[in-house]
Amino acid sequence: MVDLTMVLLAVFAGIALFFAYLAISERNLVRALIYSAVQSSAFAFIFYLLRAPDIVLVYVPISVGIYPAAILFLIRKTKEVEEP
Amino acid sequence: MRKFLIAAAVIVIAVLASIAATVGGALGPLFNGVRSLAEFYLLNVFNPHNQTLTAMSPEAVTSIVWDYRGLDTLFETVVFYMAIIGCVSLHRGIELIRKRSEAGLSRIVKTVTKILIPLNIVIAASIALHGHLTPGGGFQAGAAMAVAPIIVIVVFSRFFLLRKGVTKEVALSLRSMGLLGIALVALIPLIAWVTTGSAAYVMQNQVKADSSFSFPAYIGGSLVSGSLIWYNIFEFLAVTFGFTIVFLLLSVDEETVRKVLGGEEHE
Repeated sequence: MVDLTMVLLAVFAGIALFFAYLAISERNLVRALIYSAVQSSAFAFIFYLLRAPDIVLVYVPISVGIYPAAILFLIRKTKEVEEP
Repeated sequence: MRKFLIAAAVIVIAVLASIAATVGGALGPLFNGVRSLAEFYLLNVFNPHNQTLTAMSPEAVTSIVWDYRGLDTLFETVVFYMAIIGCVSLHRGIELIRKRSEAGLSRIVKTVTKILIPLNIVIAASIALHGHLTPGGGFQAGAAMAVAPIIVIVVFSRFFLLRKGVTKEVALSLRSMGLLGIALVALIPLIAWVTTGSAAYVMQNQVKADSSFSFPAYIGGSLVSGSLIWYNIFEFLAVTFGFTIVFLLLSVDEETVRKVLGGEEHE
């Protein structure tokens, strides 16, 4: 029952969870964005393991390119460090 | 310490929940054969012997997205269109001036980018044009293609893109062309209905039980899957240039935006 796909799914889900926690707790917005992008990349792998190549093809450019770029442009318009 | 404990508790709960859901079978068996709905699509997406139900495309996802569930995708495209229109109208009155500027990152980065951009364009075009044959399609290709203008804006600066002719007006008109193309392909069966008098449905692809209208499934011997390739191409245009407009406008610095949007009282 426990095959390689399941193990890899667990590994990537764990990575995504860890980086999601880091992204939420980080006060520096640029660093938080990078953690969030790593989390999205882990999700892209999960979609690939779940045999959804169509979603992977849209998720990779969105999670690695467009989403970090959009947020970076927006961070430039505000402050880099979140105030407590 | 307390924060760490909360995080550890969340992770333990998540791991236990996923073990229960997958190995424990709490959500029912996963990966357990093909369901009846999936069976219908797998049988019919490319089935020349059943002309009234087939989409004539070996790619099940694109067939569902643009044929069986075409109207859903049409409305998704409209939502995306409205989002871009919202962004454009927020930035109204801002002129993207063209000026000579040598801004940007170092020469090494620029050279690498010059090599990578054509590759990006080729891959995006191949995802769009093979969208009815292999995984991919209009939105996927548009998202992949939109990375190119973003990288150019970051590496070479916005002025380089504007100098090369990718202005807001050009991008807006190309995006509108994509949307008009989608609308036109959706309405071509209606034109056929008016001219020939035989029944036809909006967004129809292949022949139906009471309608003889059909987009050509093969052009010059190669499979184009009727309307699917046209939807993919036009969606590709619309998504690519939609994202390009957003990033052209987002790259304007905040001071200029505030000056234009703030009106007289802020000057």
